[in-house]
Amino acid sequence: MLSFSEQLPIVFNSLNVGFLQTLKLFLVTLAGSIPLGLIISFGSMSRFKPISAFSKTLVWVVRGTPLMIQLLIVYYFPGLVLHNPIWGGDESGRFFAAAVAFILNYACYFSEIYRGGIQGVPLGQQEAGQVLGLSKTQIFFKITLLQMIKRIVPPMSNEIITLVKDTSLARIIALQEIIWAGQSFMKGSQGISGQIWPLFFTGVYYLVFSGILTVLFNKVEKKLDYFKT
Amino acid sequence: MALLEVKNICKSFGKTEVLKGIDFSIEKGEALSIIGSSGSGKTTLLRCLNFLETSDSGTITVDGEILFDGAENIKLSDDKIRKNRLNFGLVFQNFNLFPQYTVLKNLTLAPTLLKKGDSATIEAKAKEIIKKVGLEDKVDFYPCQLSGGQQQRVAIARALMLSPKILCFDEPTSALDPELTGEVLRVIRELKDENTTMIIVTHEMNFAKNVSDKVIFMADGVIEEMGPPEQIFDNPQSKRLQEFLYSSLNK
Amino acid sequence: MKMKKIIAVLMAVLMIAACFAGCGKTSNNDNATVTDMQYVKDKGVLVVGITDFKPMDYQDADGNWIGFDADLAKEFAKYIGVDIKFVEIDWDNKVMELDGKTIDCVWNGMTLRDEVKNSMACSVPYCTNAQVIVVPADKAEQYKTPEACKDLQFAVEAGSAGKDEAEANGFKYTEVKDQATALQEVASGTCDAAIIDLLMAGAMIGEGTGYKNLTYTVSLNSESYGVGFRKGSDLVEQFNTFFAEKVANGDVQKIAETYGVQEALVK
Repeated sequence: MLSFSEQLPIVFNSLNVGFLQTLKLFLVTLAGSIPLGLIISFGSMSRFKPISAFSKTLVWVVRGTPLMIQLLIVYYFPGLVLHNPIWGGDESGRFFAAAVAFILNYACYFSEIYRGGIQGVPLGQQEAGQVLGLSKTQIFFKITLLQMIKRIVPPMSNEIITLVKDTSLARIIALQEIIWAGQSFMKGSQGISGQIWPLFFTGVYYLVFSGILTVLFNKVEKKLDYFKT
Repeated sequence: MALLEVKNICKSFGKTEVLKGIDFSIEKGEALSIIGSSGSGKTTLLRCLNFLETSDSGTITVDGEILFDGAENIKLSDDKIRKNRLNFGLVFQNFNLFPQYTVLKNLTLAPTLLKKGDSATIEAKAKEIIKKVGLEDKVDFYPCQLSGGQQQRVAIARALMLSPKILCFDEPTSALDPELTGEVLRVIRELKDENTTMIIVTHEMNFAKNVSDKVIFMADGVIEEMGPPEQIFDNPQSKRLQEFLYSSLNK
Repeated sequence: MKMKKIIAVLMAVLMIAACFAGCGKTSNNDNATVTDMQYVKDKGVLVVGITDFKPMDYQDADGNWIGFDADLAKEFAKYIGVDIKFVEIDWDNKVMELDGKTIDCVWNGMTLRDEVKNSMACSVPYCTNAQVIVVPADKAEQYKTPEACKDLQFAVEAGSAGKDEAEANGFKYTEVKDQATALQEVASGTCDAAIIDLLMAGAMIGEGTGYKNLTYTVSLNSESYGVGFRKGSDLVEQFNTFFAEKVANGDVQKIAETYGVQEALVK
């Protein structure tokens, strides 16, 4: 039995490795879902019926089912039903599958936030751009976008902080993120067993990380405070 | 030849006929006021001219060029609509300034994006125009830091940046407190003195009387009466115009 | 308008891509013609699904997987001529992992219960094991028989052999995520007792472990451990032959002694 001070470096090393995986999943999800969400939100707002119907159905299905089920489907469906395990069994395959499920899930949530943000910008802003002879693309990027961003920062920061914690769901497909790492010391790993404190301690990682994010989002909000919509 | 010629413009939203065949024309340098009660179709007419709405029929001709011909029954391309719009400027009731940009950037944004010259030229022009509306000390302010009257003057300046052939005003003082309308009307009058061609939808009867060369009274989607201000205001012919003027005097 | 068109095209491409990803791949790897053995040999690697489970599968200080099961699995991979890869899985999803081909076998001190036998192709038993009742050491005297334990609140691993025993004996029980959690429940006093594997109990409780205040008393039904392969897999035959050979030449005994499980071996 290792003493507590001997356990510490082992546990922290393990938690750090797990947290790195958590962080990686978090960043990849954001990088993918922020632009994909925009595409889906344009899809939902499209006047071309098949596209808006497709986007709305997608959003309905993804928001209407638990992320945990989506993770299981994304990871196991190709092998179970299509007989082609595209992800493979190793850690990187599990990570990719998790990233795909998370990106899709969060893109759908983001798309609804974007839609609210875009539709919340007064129509007059668009018309002002139109009578000045600007194109739709110019109007979106030069006029609507920043006003939309200002509107969506509070709901987005909420959703993004939820994402930090949601990453822990990925352990259902055995992605070894920080909770998995913490839990392993209960069952026994690297000579330490029956220890529950590492699992509880993962909460500190989450807390610190979401604290940093909160500060960042407040900064962005402050930065956009100079104008009123 | 008239600068703007409008013939038989009709517009319906669903089953509601808002414009039922509008004909009028204005000469270069003329100021036209459109008066009438709410719902008479004044604003829709202005929006049709600015291609924010597409008329169902009729023609719109500027400087001899046919911008729109309902008989051709062709959906105008986005590029064509954008080009058409540049013949007109529009000042909105609610100003619709871009809140994230300074006064200067509000003026220079469109000319810059439309590549109407190098940035120094555009900026010089913006400063000249902003001086004309009396806000040269506010160029670096954001819209939320300005009063309603100041915002509307910036909006007028913004519309002038693209030197439209015809400048349209959609009830430019309706959203303003009474004590702020004067500064906006003064700017419009100065523009008239410089022979700017203008169409003004307004509820300010005195202003319409003083500034216009021609006045249109609209009711239920048709032009009920049209003529010089002296005729419209001092010698109204139709019964509806008489009633309208009577009720607006007693407001 | 232009932007809408771009989006329309993008969405269309996405949909088509989704279709291709779906339809295109169904035809590959048709199981009807390729045996599981051939499939693994073609890949050149046997992917073994495990959990961190001392003394069967666990990591040494360098992060390499060792243990009785792990070492035997390495021998088996050598025997059929492929590389080996250990993958930690969520135990609840072991059948999906197998059928989805993200792993090729489950080799982790797996009790051969009906649930397992029905969903996998199982090897001959290679170890015997019992389910034992774990109680705090200071109360061990009171709970020497199953009858004495009737009023206790048990913690058992969901879907485990221990759970079956709790049910068979009519105990009140709570299902928890794994055996370690069950021990944790007893240690923290939220449950009075737990039912876990004897092998696990030997390694994890008593003097010199993380649970020095726990001990095991009653032994319930004994059971066997086996290796699980995909349903219909011909790797089962390979394993059975391999195991018989290695028992005969004493290799199995040697590995078992390394990890202290020789008493449990099926010879």
